Amino acid sequence: MIFDVIEKSLGQPNRLIPVDGLLGDCDGSRMPDILADRLTAAIAQTVVDICPTTALRIEDYEGRRCVRLSYGQCIGCGKCIEFGGGAVVTAKQFTRCGVAKERTVRRWDIDSRTEITASTLPPDAARMQIHSLLQRALNIRQVDAGSCNGCEAEITALTNPYYDLERFGIHFVASPKHADMLLVTGPVTRNMADAVKSAYEAVPGPKLVVAVGACGCSAGIFAGGYAIIGAVDEVIPVDGYIPGCPPTPAMLVTGILEVLRRRVAK
Amino acid sequence: MNENTQAALPHDGRNPSGARPVVPRTNEGAPARLVTIFGSLGPNREKRVHYIFDRGVPEYGEIVHSTDGALESITPEVPAAAWYERELHDQYGIEIVGHPDLRPLIFHDNWLDEVYPMIDPVDDVPWSNREYRFLQVQGEGVAEVAVGPIHAGIIEPGHFRFSVVGDTILHLELRHFYTHKGTEKLFEGRAMEDGAMLAESVSGDNCFAHAVCYSQAVEAACAIDVPPRALGVRRIGLELERLACHISDIGGLCTDVGFGVPAAYAARLKESLLRAASQCCGTRYWRGIAIPGGLRFDLDSGKVAALTQVVARAHRDFSDIARLILQTPSIQDRFETAGILRQKAARDLAIVGPVARASGIDLDVRRDHAYGGYGQLEIPVTHYGDVMARARIRIAEAKVSAQLIQEEGKSLSEGSVFTPFVSQDGVQGFSAIESPRGELCYWIEARGGLLTRCHVKSPSFQNWPAMPFAATGNIIADFPMINKSFSLSYSGCDR
Repeated sequence: MIFDVIEKSLGQPNRLIPVDGLLGDCDGSRMPDILADRLTAAIAQTVVDICPTTALRIEDYEGRRCVRLSYGQCIGCGKCIEFGGGAVVTAKQFTRCGVAKERTVRRWDIDSRTEITASTLPPDAARMQIHSLLQRALNIRQVDAGSCNGCEAEITALTNPYYDLERFGIHFVASPKHADMLLVTGPVTRNMADAVKSAYEAVPGPKLVVAVGACGCSAGIFAGGYAIIGAVDEVIPVDGYIPGCPPTPAMLVTGILEVLRRRVAK
Repeated sequence: MNENTQAALPHDGRNPSGARPVVPRTNEGAPARLVTIFGSLGPNREKRVHYIFDRGVPEYGEIVHSTDGALESITPEVPAAAWYERELHDQYGIEIVGHPDLRPLIFHDNWLDEVYPMIDPVDDVPWSNREYRFLQVQGEGVAEVAVGPIHAGIIEPGHFRFSVVGDTILHLELRHFYTHKGTEKLFEGRAMEDGAMLAESVSGDNCFAHAVCYSQAVEAACAIDVPPRALGVRRIGLELERLACHISDIGGLCTDVGFGVPAAYAARLKESLLRAASQCCGTRYWRGIAIPGGLRFDLDSGKVAALTQVVARAHRDFSDIARLILQTPSIQDRFETAGILRQKAARDLAIVGPVARASGIDLDVRRDHAYGGYGQLEIPVTHYGDVMARARIRIAEAKVSAQLIQEEGKSLSEGSVFTPFVSQDGVQGFSAIESPRGELCYWIEARGGLLTRCHVKSPSFQNWPAMPFAATGNIIADFPMINKSFSLSYSGCDR
């Protein structure tokens, strides 16, 4: 009976993870991190050669030879960690969620064994406008532009009792016309391109778009396929990127809040 | 076929060209169950069509046809062949003579006629605007309701075209393949060792089943013996995936009838399994673990034991809540007699997995085409074919999976988890496993260690055509629930 179900449910302990336990948590995503002091030219070449999606590359940056790690392309396969000779480890914290595309890329100078830190970027107008208008309320319309459904499974998990996205005043809505933010997953396929554009146009301004997952950020492992257009930003403008294959619910929470600048720098 | 080519499957017959294949029979004389049909290119780029059948014996049977032009359709005799032959037409440009409906399947209005991605280079195909005609149901009071590709919830895209009178569905036409990513083509040119990570992205929520099935196909091709410990860990992963999917599906069914409390309860249980998996092997869905030859790394026995404890607790909670859910009168009212898939339709369409077992088809790859060290199994079957039957099958299967995980956890053998191998030239391999949605197959061919063809038969591709048969006659408001009770993957179907 219906009351037995409710009674049974009430007997369960609270599972809610406090927000501080979510922000920056990337357990289960196998995002790599590079220990600069252990980096050698040989290790750099090895990990670049085995990376299946060119997330790792060697490039010249401002006249320095560096390893470039593009998190937006990383599918978390862990090969660089396996063969990186201790210089590549599983990241314990990952905060590059919901950030601008430039910030999903890190570079390490191979010769001086240091990370090259980029200058910080100014917050953009739409994000600040939405934040000032809505404060703690946000409606999200999720759009699958061709994903494998791994990202959908994790986005669905955001509403479970561990993450409970609604506690932040954030809701998933059925229509783009009710939405402030589009959360777009997957490489955009040829067959979905028009629908993605229509959904974007139906969202009233000011609006935000977040590209989710390696495929949303960069087409991921599907890059170059005949039936896909590519990353989400090849079809509609994107305000923030959440890497991962798939990003864990904690990374999604971190990313969505980051895009909103909920925690505006004091 | 090349003389060096190893035949991975016993050939039931081979026909040089032209005529249609003779559909094999079971020992009882019934037509064999169609498993899959796919095309490939031979060493001299000649088109070949492979038919795989299940004759009710442990070995699958394969028939290979070489064809230069047309091929006679087997759809009139084997309705389950309909989508496969349309796909063959789209991918290889093989004319299928006598097919009742040869409209494009995987390519939409934007694709060009006579561009066949599996035989031609297909970079930058220009955009076109072909016409696609839905079947029109005419008559007084008939209205059309178009749903999708973008749906209201957090789900994958696909299009449903309902023809209704009032609330009642007269006809449903599916238009899918919105998430078609050309995945089978993307396998080509990859090293055999590296295909599993792409297989994982065919259907993300069944990623471990895909990785294992792909790996088994390579293992069959190169005659690799996988160490027992690796097989044991794989079975734990496969059953855990099934358990998580079934729990999630029962929760999803509750969501679709507005019963939020048990839906949240099921979501919590599923999350507990995912978090335990992450603790045990580093990823929530067991991604990046199975590879050809075994596993990429061993799992700590203590962590496996911790995982089995979480599974035991989650399943105990699940069986309690599932019993209470099914005792709730409003649930019985919604689930019973809704979305009935008759056994005849299920057999004609060669339906697999829990959907088949809820319609009286006693079929499970783990038992009927044993693989990966599975032993004796209890396979729940029921014949009602409605939403309630599919819910009951999933609940019963979750119990079997939870028990298997306990047994495997206790009896996990010691030793290595990987057999190194040398990829051989000119090999073919086939593998089938029982994924949470049903029979999943991979067929691979490789030359010089690189894949030249990889076909994925996903249970969703097989089961989607049955949806209209289950939906017709129901009210449109029950469709989300009926759809959920099938629990099909769009990406797995579309690839």
